[in-house]
Amino acid sequence: MVRRVLSLTSGRIAVVILAVIALLAILGPWLAPQDPLATSDNTLAAASGAHWLGTDYLGRDVFSRLLDGSRVSVLGSLEVALTALAVGVVPGILSVYLGRVFEWLTLRLADTLVALPFLLFAVAVIALLGNGLTQAMLVTGALVSPLFYRVSRAATLAVARSPYVEAALISGASTGWVVRRHVWVKVLPPIAVALAQTIGVGFVIVSSLTFLGIGVQPPAPTWGGLLASDLGYLSHQPWAPVPPALLIMVTVWASNLLADAIRDVSGEAGRTLADNRTVRANRLGKGRPVPAGGAR
Amino acid sequence: MTLLSQHTAPEQTRTVATAGPSAPPVLAVRDVRISDRVTEREIVRGVSFELTPGKAVGIVGESGSGKTLTCRAALGILPPHFEVTGGSVEIDGTDIATLTPPQWAALRGSTISAVFQDPASYLNPSIRVGAQIAEVVRVKKGLKRREARHRAVELLRAVRLSDPELVYGQYTYELSGGMLQRVLIAAAIAADPRALIADEATTALDVTVQAEILDLLAELRERSGLALVVVSHDLAVVAHLCDEVLVMRQGEVVEHGPTRAVLYDPQHEYTRLLIAEHDQYGLEKFLTPKEAS
Amino acid sequence: MTTTALQVVPARRRGAAAARTRHALGRILGVIARSIGIFVPVFLVATFVTFALRSLSGLSPARIQLGENATPEAIQRVEAQWGLDKPFLAQYGDWFTGVLHGELGVSWVNGADISTLIGLGLGVSLSVATFALVIGVVVGFALGTLAALRRTTWIDRAITGFVTVISVMPPFVVGIVLVAVLAVGLDVFPSAGYLPAEQGIGPWLAHITLPALALSCDVIADVARQLRTGLVAAHSENYVTGAVVRGLSPRRIFFGHILRNGLGPTLATLGLKFPALVGASVVTEWIFGLQGFGRFANDSAQAGDVPAVQGVLVVSIVLVVSFNLIVNLVLARVTPASQRGV
Repeated sequence: MVRRVLSLTSGRIAVVILAVIALLAILGPWLAPQDPLATSDNTLAAASGAHWLGTDYLGRDVFSRLLDGSRVSVLGSLEVALTALAVGVVPGILSVYLGRVFEWLTLRLADTLVALPFLLFAVAVIALLGNGLTQAMLVTGALVSPLFYRVSRAATLAVARSPYVEAALISGASTGWVVRRHVWVKVLPPIAVALAQTIGVGFVIVSSLTFLGIGVQPPAPTWGGLLASDLGYLSHQPWAPVPPALLIMVTVWASNLLADAIRDVSGEAGRTLADNRTVRANRLGKGRPVPAGGAR
Repeated sequence: MTLLSQHTAPEQTRTVATAGPSAPPVLAVRDVRISDRVTEREIVRGVSFELTPGKAVGIVGESGSGKTLTCRAALGILPPHFEVTGGSVEIDGTDIATLTPPQWAALRGSTISAVFQDPASYLNPSIRVGAQIAEVVRVKKGLKRREARHRAVELLRAVRLSDPELVYGQYTYELSGGMLQRVLIAAAIAADPRALIADEATTALDVTVQAEILDLLAELRERSGLALVVVSHDLAVVAHLCDEVLVMRQGEVVEHGPTRAVLYDPQHEYTRLLIAEHDQYGLEKFLTPKEAS
Repeated sequence: MTTTALQVVPARRRGAAAARTRHALGRILGVIARSIGIFVPVFLVATFVTFALRSLSGLSPARIQLGENATPEAIQRVEAQWGLDKPFLAQYGDWFTGVLHGELGVSWVNGADISTLIGLGLGVSLSVATFALVIGVVVGFALGTLAALRRTTWIDRAITGFVTVISVMPPFVVGIVLVAVLAVGLDVFPSAGYLPAEQGIGPWLAHITLPALALSCDVIADVARQLRTGLVAAHSENYVTGAVVRGLSPRRIFFGHILRNGLGPTLATLGLKFPALVGASVVTEWIFGLQGFGRFANDSAQAGDVPAVQGVLVVSIVLVVSFNLIVNLVLARVTPASQRGV
């Protein structure tokens, strides 16, 4: 599947951008030309040879702060995505197999989590449970997990009710074997799509929180924090917000692009497998996302 | 029961129908050829027939023989990348190649109309079925809302639905296949078309319902002089309704003639095969000896 | 035949009309019942989680009121005052009864009634959110419809490109751009603050336009994208062919038949979008200096005012749940088939 994604132009672009961002996150602190925390008298300077992106209101080098801050964003969004994955997928698959009580409980729980405005909740949790980004990211991950729950559940349901699985079960295969042999194959692509999407969502959430100054102690640089401090000096430096804003947007865009690429690639395989009957059955529901806590 | 005879009285119709070739055809298909632009293959190779008022023409053939494409060409609804590459289709004396979209819209429904297999999918799932019929009456006949509603109920009654008032307010998913086909027919004849194309209209229905729908079509033809094109893979369906039969195979008409002649004196091997299969697998074979005894 | 028909019809029609009304009423009640069946457990679980936050946080009004150096006795006295010495479930019971009566308790910080405090901010936030929804739906609708009608042309590609760009812009980025360009740069709009609608519609709109625009980008993108997909999918359905064959004009087919079915997914998306809108208000209200619901949430959270945070969460849950109920009702009306057993 990886090779097929890379064969798409959009997939290649997305992967390259995300790789560069990841590299920044790992090497950022070493790549930074200057100490991101060092203040100077040269405040609110324009871009120059010494300060590629100028300086902020305390005379700190913006470029260095941007590089140094990338780690927080990348780690944070990965935390969100991986937590959501860990919390969502297993119950999603099991909800099909563990009977009606478990199914009902998990469905209601998923409805509940979706109904909670996660940014509001993240703010609340950070404030109440201590000022650490990690806690907030874990909680946000849990709140976003219904996406993974739904996606894996839907894929599992589709497989579980397909004739070939029924045939396998009739011919004596165990449920565990069916899950390993058939379900994983079908569930994996939609999960990959959801993962890419969630990474994008994670970036927005981390940036939003750091923008509010939540989760990270003040001197430490973050993309959101950079934007927030720029906001106060818009009349002096109207272009200052552009680099961090662009960085956030490009990252989110690349994540979405990757999600679309994976969907395109796996959708093709899915289409050749699907027979006409299921296509027709799906038509009414096509493009209809599951409403938040909506009727099912 | 005056609703279908508004433009032609039944007596008149019968005379027109028996007047034969002298009456101008409602639909004339002349040596029509249809090609797939992508594969550049000719799918339909020269189909001709004429449909005069009150007449019924049947097209029989296996799936993929081009019968549905021929009908779609006559309605101007060929699927993407199919096109008429030869011959002509005339509706009421007008070559369809010259029609503009508004002219098409004016012609469809009021001169030529159609019903299809899988009636549920040809009705909007989100609108009450009655309202969909009333819409046609309102648009094509210029009736007011209330009159249109009244007439839609009348039409539902005319297609022999037992509780038209109730059916009017229902959605497609609340109705059975046979009822839906009746509704689709009601919508198709709502603007009093002169020709109706029934493309496998009874195929998905079970046998008793199929017979009822065929009777309904025959009745409509009898009553209002509606000309029919009946498309089916089933020779029995066509024989039940039509005066004239075309047998198609792989895009070509292999036999064309009056129904009786085709049934009793088939010239082409494929036609003989079709008839033989009916003899071999039809229920008649098992029933006749018992009744004889 | 005619005379008997005339006699029979009125009686039948009345019966059928009554049956139809019952039918429609039954459908609506069914939707409401199903929605409530889903939302009651949602509400119970969500409030429980919300309430459990306090126990998990280990925060106490005593620390806020008495400071860090308070004696254990003083702390105990204050906690007893707040009823915090009772068993956890009893506390939850008291609090939940209050919530059902619309009482969210009093603030730890200043002893003010939380319902009143939230009520003050809610007007601001709801003005902004509603305006954002209106902008999002109107613009998204126009863009999505246009893209679907002109699909595969340059118009479609331009719209798709534009939608992609705004979909990756988080509300605070849009907010900053708007402040930089329209408020600071061109001085067209006030950059911060709020005036209630009673003091004039013009100033009110001027103050909520920028935050609403910032929030609406996401909605525009989602509505446009979803509507385009929905419309293109609906366009190739058989019932469109059916309508064509009945001789209806393309315009009528589009507005009467395609739009209606293409709308379903879009409405469902709106239902999903609302929690995000409520959450994003925290950020936009910070940028635009609005004393709204989101700002109150942020301030209370920073101050460790647990009852206030709980109140905010409860109100947000109620908002989301009622919004979804409305969306479900509209969905049931627009696309009745989708409500059947799915």
